[in-house]
Amino acid sequence: MNARLHPVPEQFDDPVQQREAATLGMWAFLATEILFFGVLFAGYTLCRVRFPDAFAAGSRHTDMLLGTIETAVLLTSSCAVALSVREVQLGGRQLATALLGITAALGASFLVMHGFEYYAEYREGLIPAVHWTQQGVYAKGMEIFYCLYYFITLFHSLHVSIGVVLLIVMAWRTWHRAYDARYHTPLELTALYWHLVDIVWIFVYPLIYLVGRAG
Amino acid sequence: MNTPAARPQRSHGSGPRPPSLGGNLWTLLALLVLLGLSAGSALLELGVFNTVANLGIAVAKALLVLTIFMRLKTDNALLRIVASAGFAWLAVMIALALADVLTRAPLLAPW
Repeated sequence: MNARLHPVPEQFDDPVQQREAATLGMWAFLATEILFFGVLFAGYTLCRVRFPDAFAAGSRHTDMLLGTIETAVLLTSSCAVALSVREVQLGGRQLATALLGITAALGASFLVMHGFEYYAEYREGLIPAVHWTQQGVYAKGMEIFYCLYYFITLFHSLHVSIGVVLLIVMAWRTWHRAYDARYHTPLELTALYWHLVDIVWIFVYPLIYLVGRAG
Repeated sequence: MNTPAARPQRSHGSGPRPPSLGGNLWTLLALLVLLGLSAGSALLELGVFNTVANLGIAVAKALLVLTIFMRLKTDNALLRIVASAGFAWLAVMIALALADVLTRAPLLAPW
């Protein structure tokens, strides 16, 4: 569909009001997403208060270098998608499509890196109820840490996967001139979703990878 | 479908004015520097301040993404309210849950 043929539905006064309604709806959805992940973070907080040493021991088994690289990848991808929206607003198409492709590729590379992490954890016997070989006083508490770790990171990875698919669709549509400076709301909403996925990871990184690293 | 509008149409391009290229790139640089600070400070023995520093830096990074990349700084004020509401409810949930856990004395089983 060509952006120039996009009519304003009759319930809206003008394109500005249409965009305001769409972004407000998206932010309402993002607020529910904050609470969705918030429950997991609240559970994490309570368990960490109860088992501080076991959580530190569990965190030391995660791959801090890979976690840091993954964070940098997601932060960079957020910038790329923000630049892509900017480019479309300024009337560009090819660069915007390329930036969306880069964002999707960075998201996919994040998933691959996380896959390597999961594999390493499987080999180390760090998957509760599936392959758990940890012994010692902290083993029980570490099991709780790793349960939360898998819940949080798997739900996050699910969001990243959905985001990658959306970004590929947006890149395809941008390339086929579906969006221009006047109309690009779906692209803007996809970017908002991707930024939220990034924000969730910004909090996952210190809580999962950086506990008890000193000394 | 596209009936003549009763009110004059606002005609500026949809959305707030795009942020500058430099603004976006500086934001990315700041985020990566904060990431480095976060990883570096985690390796220093700071006691409870390790957690404080890590969470403080995470909040700073999230605020940068929210204000610049997600354009809450320049966009409609209503969006800032909705976004704040999401985080406010999260704060309430964590605060009340912690208040319960931290202040309750464990009761021994009576048998």
